[in-house]
Amino acid sequence: MSEYIVEMRHVTKRFPGIVANDDVSLGIKKGEIFALLGENGAGKSTLMSILFGMYEPDEGEVYVRGKKVEHFSPNHATAMNIGMVHQHFKLVSNYTVTENIILGMEPQKRLGGFLPVVDIKNTNQKIADLSKKFRLEVEPTKKIEDLNVSMQQRVEILKMLYREAEILIFDEPTAVLTPQEIEFLLDIIREMRRNGKTIILITHKLEEIKQVADRCAILNRGKVVGICDVAETSTKKMAELMVGREVSFTQEKSPFRPGEVKLTVDHLVVKNADGFPVVNDVSFSVRGGEIFAIAGVAGNGQVEIADAVAGLTKVSSGTITLGGKEITDAAVRARNRQGLAYIPEDRQSWGLILDFTLSENLLLRRYDQEPYCVKGVLHREKFDEKSRQLIEQFDIRSGQGEKTVVRSMSGGNQQKAIVAREIDQDAPCIIFVQPTRGLDIGAIENIHRQILEERAKGKAILLVSLELDEIMSLADTIGVIYNGQLLKIAPADTMSTNEVGQYMMGVKE
Amino acid sequence: MKQNRKGNSLSRAFVALMGSEKRQSITIPLFAICLSLIAGAVLMMILGKDPIIGYKSLLQGCGLLMKKNYAGGKGLLTDFMSYLDIWTPMIFAALAVAVAYKAGLFNIGVSGQMLIGGFIASITVGYSDLPAVIAKPLVIVICMVIGALAGSFIGLLKYKFNINEVVSAIMLNYIFQYIISFFILTFFVNPITRQSNPVGENARLTLQNVQIAGMKTVIPLGFVLAIIAVVVMHYFINHTRIGFELKAVGANKKAATYAGVNANKNIMLAMAISGALAGLAGATYYLGYLSSIQPKVLASTGFDSIAVCLLGNSNPIGIVASSFLVTIISKGSMYMNSSVGLPQEIASLITGLMLLFAACGVYIRARPKRTKDRLDQQDRLEAAERKDSASEEGKEDDR
Repeated sequence: MSEYIVEMRHVTKRFPGIVANDDVSLGIKKGEIFALLGENGAGKSTLMSILFGMYEPDEGEVYVRGKKVEHFSPNHATAMNIGMVHQHFKLVSNYTVTENIILGMEPQKRLGGFLPVVDIKNTNQKIADLSKKFRLEVEPTKKIEDLNVSMQQRVEILKMLYREAEILIFDEPTAVLTPQEIEFLLDIIREMRRNGKTIILITHKLEEIKQVADRCAILNRGKVVGICDVAETSTKKMAELMVGREVSFTQEKSPFRPGEVKLTVDHLVVKNADGFPVVNDVSFSVRGGEIFAIAGVAGNGQVEIADAVAGLTKVSSGTITLGGKEITDAAVRARNRQGLAYIPEDRQSWGLILDFTLSENLLLRRYDQEPYCVKGVLHREKFDEKSRQLIEQFDIRSGQGEKTVVRSMSGGNQQKAIVAREIDQDAPCIIFVQPTRGLDIGAIENIHRQILEERAKGKAILLVSLELDEIMSLADTIGVIYNGQLLKIAPADTMSTNEVGQYMMGVKE
Repeated sequence: MKQNRKGNSLSRAFVALMGSEKRQSITIPLFAICLSLIAGAVLMMILGKDPIIGYKSLLQGCGLLMKKNYAGGKGLLTDFMSYLDIWTPMIFAALAVAVAYKAGLFNIGVSGQMLIGGFIASITVGYSDLPAVIAKPLVIVICMVIGALAGSFIGLLKYKFNINEVVSAIMLNYIFQYIISFFILTFFVNPITRQSNPVGENARLTLQNVQIAGMKTVIPLGFVLAIIAVVVMHYFINHTRIGFELKAVGANKKAATYAGVNANKNIMLAMAISGALAGLAGATYYLGYLSSIQPKVLASTGFDSIAVCLLGNSNPIGIVASSFLVTIISKGSMYMNSSVGLPQEIASLITGLMLLFAACGVYIRARPKRTKDRLDQQDRLEAAERKDSASEEGKEDDR
């Protein structure tokens, strides 16, 4: 019996055109916080999906508590006390917290001695106790749809704990949280270690690893490039291992030279389906060469502002002006042709047609223009020619080049494709919404560099981000949104991170 | 590993048969067809008949194989031409389903659109004395326009009121069916046949009682049109801007909107084109293959076309092949019944099985990939075990 609770030996997993894990060997000790660090597409999630039984490795073996794993399925993993919190929560939104937690293993009692019913009452109590034990305060009888993201995550964690998971896998748990919530989550993770749980943390945020993890494995292109004790290794060293080269944390930013106003939003009101104003009387303007960033906790109306400017959401009142022309009611294509590029938040449902090829997706904004389309007839060879140029220029990696079906590409490369398509239009105004969501340091650095390049070219840039660090390092002007209203608009250098955070929580007026 | 050898060679044959993922859009329907033909053969054997004779009789019934003897004045050509006559509306109907399907819509109302097109053309041109050169094109135009209107009405309901196209299409089928029955039974009924009065020869798209090489036969003019439609639709879907937009809306409506495509306009357009093709199916069915309309009955062609479309991967060229086959089975079953004595229902059964197997395509698609992955892994392991170049060559030959 080895000292490790989980051991992976020479694990290899291939997908068409890509080796996701290449001869990976690592061991995780009982009761430690083990971090997996790596770029997007480095194979972290795949590796842990193997441990959780969602994939079967092509080669190599996995041992849990010294025993070789023979059957790979989430059910077997649960039976081995392995639990996983996925990046995208898997909860039934109109069920209560308790109902979600017990789903699939409902405790039964016999009503009147024979009628089997689900025993909700006792379970509610059990879950309340459990949440107290791990300081995960949640109301068991609340419905999921009434909880915010951070609370939903706690439900996911409770779900694992309820199933008596001893090995807990967290897949990018902090991606959707505010700084304060992240602190809290890390506390919870420490608390769980104190209770003897083994924790595996998949992340690409170095400071989190520095804060909580004991040991850390670094993956690069599917290979383990290093396993180190976190306390003894510098953040810089880890970042280098992960990206495979030196990285600069701070981007070179040219001096701020604002030009004329390119985009103006005036008294904008956007209502949701229930008639509730999700964007309430918002006014701001963006100048050429300026990055105007909207900071805020998710769901406060920032995405709706971007959608309204791009023409994907109806405006209730107020006006939007682009380059001196009012576009409040213009069609999506008209806005685009007038000089508005848009990198949407949800790349898979808005930004790309997943079942189309990379080439078709790269031309999604221009397929109807010459030379790609002459008199209503498409010229595929021109599509491919242009695509090859963009693939080369933006380093988009895929299995079969421009013929690759986008669904099979990694998230980071999908995002690169969208950025390539939008930047290539050379539009004077570009909207970036969460441009680096779910991406790794290398890719983030790359996209930040591109945003700054566009700024240097005199483009007006509207940046919506939930990452405060991103906003603080890129923005020239910051607008903080809370409850659909811009509480504060100020030059970036006049506000501290802390101040912005307070506005984001609606504390400061 | 040795004891698996036999199973392996079977698996290897399976993988080689299914081919690469690109080729699978052809091999999988073929696989489905083979499975259902085998199932049909087993059924025939259970019923005590020779399946080879059974299948031969299907081909003979369609004029693709010589019968032993023919009645006076009839021959292979007679059967073949009447086979083309009933194949034609099937091609149009399946194309109608395919166009809607590409735009993410399910047009289950093809039968209704066929009926309304055919009915209006019958009462306006079919009962008139217009000369044939005017009447025949007019029938085609009227059917297309009426079909397109009926189709785009479903599209309109979808985008204006967000009514699911399947529900509105089924309801419209009933509405057309009963309203038209009322008119036929009140105004146009033939007291002997209890169907609508037959349309005049001037308006009929299939020429009747033509003598060719001493054989009496029919000439379905619509067939030429069907082949043109296949070529045009193939080009339209794959090579035109509008086709690209239709497919984009079908694959991801949100992203299409983001790209600047007007999704609602495309929903209307797809349903209009689909309806126009259904109208053509109606023209060649009610004013070609038949000459009258039976009240209270919807043409089964409209529903079978869904199966044909799926089997043909909603690809126009694929549809030619799948409709060819399905029509052989349905048309040939009559002769199979009379000559071999097998129940005619076997035809529907085989068609049904084909659809079932084709619908299992996702599973069948996953299967060769998994088997191939497993075999590849074995190959690598074996290669690693004994680094023997000779055995390597042996495997190359296997492929």
